[in-house]
Amino acid sequence: MSPTRFASEHKWIYIGAIVVLLALVVIGLVRYAAITTNNKATQKANELADAAVAAGYRRPDTALIAGLLGTDGGLVCDDPASALKSALWKINVSNGAAFVGQRPVIGDGRALAAEATIMKIYCPDKLDKIQDKLDDLKTDDTVRQ
Amino acid sequence: MSSMDMPADAPRQSARAAHATIPDAPRLTWLTLALMTTASVASLRAAPTMAVYGLACVFLYLVPAIVFLLPTALVSAELASGWNGGVYRWVSEGLSKPLGFLAVWCQFAMTIFYYPSLLAFVASTLAYVIDPALASSGLYTAIVIMVLYWTGVWISSRGTKALAGLSSWGLVIGTLIPGTILVVLGMVFLAQGNPSAAPMTASHLLPEWTGLASLVLIVNNFLSYSGMEMNAVHVSSLKNPAKEYPKSMFLAMGLVLLIFILPALAISWVVPSSQTSLTAGVMQAFDAFFSYFDIGWMTPIAAVMLISASLAGMLTWLAGPSKGLLEISRSEGYLPPFLQQLNRFGVQQNILVTQGAVTTVIALGYAFIPNVSNVYWIFSTITTQVYLIVYLLMFVAAMRLRKNQPDHPRGYRVPALNVLCVVGLLSSAAAMVIGFVPPSQFGGGSVLVYVVIIGSGLGLLGLLIPWAFLKFRKPSWQTEAAREEGAAS
Repeated sequence: MSPTRFASEHKWIYIGAIVVLLALVVIGLVRYAAITTNNKATQKANELADAAVAAGYRRPDTALIAGLLGTDGGLVCDDPASALKSALWKINVSNGAAFVGQRPVIGDGRALAAEATIMKIYCPDKLDKIQDKLDDLKTDDTVRQ
Repeated sequence: MSSMDMPADAPRQSARAAHATIPDAPRLTWLTLALMTTASVASLRAAPTMAVYGLACVFLYLVPAIVFLLPTALVSAELASGWNGGVYRWVSEGLSKPLGFLAVWCQFAMTIFYYPSLLAFVASTLAYVIDPALASSGLYTAIVIMVLYWTGVWISSRGTKALAGLSSWGLVIGTLIPGTILVVLGMVFLAQGNPSAAPMTASHLLPEWTGLASLVLIVNNFLSYSGMEMNAVHVSSLKNPAKEYPKSMFLAMGLVLLIFILPALAISWVVPSSQTSLTAGVMQAFDAFFSYFDIGWMTPIAAVMLISASLAGMLTWLAGPSKGLLEISRSEGYLPPFLQQLNRFGVQQNILVTQGAVTTVIALGYAFIPNVSNVYWIFSTITTQVYLIVYLLMFVAAMRLRKNQPDHPRGYRVPALNVLCVVGLLSSAAAMVIGFVPPSQFGGGSVLVYVVIIGSGLGLLGLLIPWAFLKFRKPSWQTEAAREEGAAS
């Protein structure tokens, strides 16, 4: 292959990659919908903030929680017990590696309890499905409060 | 892929492979190699995980940097400045050729199990952009893994230049730019007088000490820096490897540290750990971060950036270990001639395609069989154990090379090499031992069962399979072309 054709082919690979990424950005922006807050969202956010304080955390910003979790828990309550999602979060109870060095560790119990608390407030029906999996995890208090 | 020679029988394979010689490597700048190295080790994916530890994440990255990153990076800088070819060549020269094959085999084989979990993460992040409900679909996940993996193989088969450009830009777009945004916004947050969500006092510099769990966390973090030496296989693409490779390694080391530490700290300033979700993944943390600044729309953009960084890293892993495996297999005839063949770009296409076939089967199992995906985390322990064999061999080889070939020209001589090698050896050995401690996911299962599972996986993937290749190889596997190349060099 001549150097010119070689460079030309590479150019098309780069252009293709840029087009795909830009298309994804456009799709993401179009589909992104900021969660609208209402009284119910604020009430649930206050419940979660109270639970966080009771668990020994600082009181988080309730407006931020309301905007993030809305009334239905957002991503946290989006089918967390499915096989593939469970596989991913199990892989993510891991060290600080970003690539091949990623390996599981003994996770922090309070972080997992916080997870369960969010589900208990926002989607108790989903918590029932995942509670067994969370209970099965061996944890310790590895995060300094 | 049309250029691939597909011989029907062994003699023809040998004959065709004999005529396929490795073309001159394309030129890479030391900056590109530094970016490739960084792309293969660091990304923002780990930042939310480590942000939970608050200020202690600095300790959790710095201690492993001293005892593992520094020895790995400096020792491989010296070795690459003296010998082309990467880890297989260093171990071959320092210990023996079969051990050189073992080293590069371990570096190569562990990636086979790694790609499905990396691409499943990419699939779930992509689902966040398109439709979050897709993340639970096996069919969607399988399609994304297949399309992205085989596109990666196709790009890798076009030569080092193409993937070097894509992986470098992937790092810039997917990690350096969003990482800088996170850090700047985090500083703005503090400058506005907001208290940090995670305490930033001196008493929070160290992680909580709870005995074994803390030890597991600290020691397993050594592996965050796995892969720093991997791109040394491309060292012959540099204009002046002896001088440029160490320079590229120093830059990569600095970038990796900054990418790991600063964004994790920035997230811990803004997002309380009580709001980070394990099941919702990293996008939840980014959403919380950007929502604070009322720029929640940045989250899907960050997702696309994260995807590009992950794919950039995957490209470097596709190209590096397989190239090393090819080079020692060609020179010593350790693999069948079919796997030694090159395409017209001089790329080990048949190794990549064979690896792809195995990866495809594993990925389909991951996507469609819950029993496989449910225990996939075990593979990440086994594969990291296998990778540690590479480091054990590399550090021993480095000490032997300094002793047995002290006058061999090296562009860079690391001070106190033996001390660094001993530290690196001990760190690698400690990480291997800790790899046998059952993590959270194993629950209350028997420790003995866990040790047997990990030990069996390590023995099978890291020892038995490479031993079988060495044991059953045939003299005809060493091709004429390789002999000629060997004689010429």
